[in-house]
Amino acid sequence: MRMPKHIWLALVGGLAGCDGRHSWLAGAGAEARLIEDLFWPFLIGAVAIWTAVMVFAVIAFRRRPKGSDERIGRAIILWGGGVLPAVVVAALLITGLLTLRAMASRPSALTVHVDAEQWWWRVIYETPDGKVFSANEIRLPLGKTTLLMLTSDDVIHSFWAPALGGKLDMIPGRTNRMTLTPVRTGRWGGLCAEFCGAAHAQMRFEVVVMEPDAFRDWLVAESEPAAPSALRMERGLSLFLDEGCAACHTVRGTQANGRVGPDLTHLAARGRIGAGLLALSDANLRRWITHTTDVKPGVRMPSYPAMPPDDLDQITQFLMALE
Amino acid sequence: MRYPRIIDDGSVWIVIVPPLIWALHFLAAYWIAAVWCAREAGSLTPAAWSIIVLTILALVAISLIGRVAAVRYGGFTRPGRESAGDTQADRRQFLGHVALLLCVLNAAAVMMTAIPSVMFGRC
Repeated sequence: MRMPKHIWLALVGGLAGCDGRHSWLAGAGAEARLIEDLFWPFLIGAVAIWTAVMVFAVIAFRRRPKGSDERIGRAIILWGGGVLPAVVVAALLITGLLTLRAMASRPSALTVHVDAEQWWWRVIYETPDGKVFSANEIRLPLGKTTLLMLTSDDVIHSFWAPALGGKLDMIPGRTNRMTLTPVRTGRWGGLCAEFCGAAHAQMRFEVVVMEPDAFRDWLVAESEPAAPSALRMERGLSLFLDEGCAACHTVRGTQANGRVGPDLTHLAARGRIGAGLLALSDANLRRWITHTTDVKPGVRMPSYPAMPPDDLDQITQFLMALE
Repeated sequence: MRYPRIIDDGSVWIVIVPPLIWALHFLAAYWIAAVWCAREAGSLTPAAWSIIVLTILALVAISLIGRVAAVRYGGFTRPGRESAGDTQADRRQFLGHVALLLCVLNAAAVMMTAIPSVMFGRC
């Protein structure tokens, strides 16, 4: 029998969740591994119970009724329907709580505040020298536990970097705490996991796990004002200020100090633009500026479809120089 | 007219009481943990001890009801005997049986409600 095409497509769509960047089976974080340790026994147990129930059902339907059935039936109901589920549910509750306790009790070496906005992420690193502002990309040192302070400024969002750890809601007026302890370097995907409005599905971020030394150097660079080479691009900078970009975006070292949108001081050092949507490239940046709402329907940033090509060149060059 | 005591013979209230005890215990545990953590946000120990005391009280109350229920049912297990008649005695047995099963269920539920407060040291 041939399987209809749409079923194949549905199955392939399901497999997309196994992509390593977003897979909680990637083993990229100590917390994700704790969850994985919980998952396999749960899965094996569920399969065993399901199989046993099916076997019992088949036997019950196929055999001829006998006089002793009443007594056996009662015993099965008492033990299989009462005592066993109670024990299994209690065991699941206790193992689940043990996992939660193990995930919550790690002392942290670094604190990062993540504020969810419609539809991007404000990221603030706490350092001894003060706060370091960034957006849409979270960098973490390998092997160190980072405490994430999660909150929201508008509606309920949910923070989830599946390869690294659990998922936690970000609730306006509350700060939820979560730790991540990466154990594999690389770029991992993250997303908003609570429907939060039109561009919810395009509200993504990247988690970049770096060697501790490289992370320290990066954090120092991130705390600096914009690169002097970018600031020397007077035409691009003045366009950035005159077109109104500065009303929402900050570029430290210039007059641009808007707080409504993501901080762009080191935009070109990030891997992606548009809150994890497009890879950072000259072409994608042009597309983002001119067709913003096509790329991300619902986005608060206006499109600039009528920007003259020369201006677009200048402004893109300026942004690509913000390393 | 004389009103029956809440769990008097023949009253259906005996089947309401065990779930009610569970519900009150659940609410109290939730309130204690929520208020304590909102005010202190540190050690959970004092809140945990209050929840443990409440749990013991709830379990004692449920077991007392369970004893009354078992007496009416005529024991803890009576396999093969049904209470299907429509006499006062059948009704008494049936309610006793239902109340007894509810006591077991709610005792388990009360313990499960209390487990998290025992396992976590901090809010």
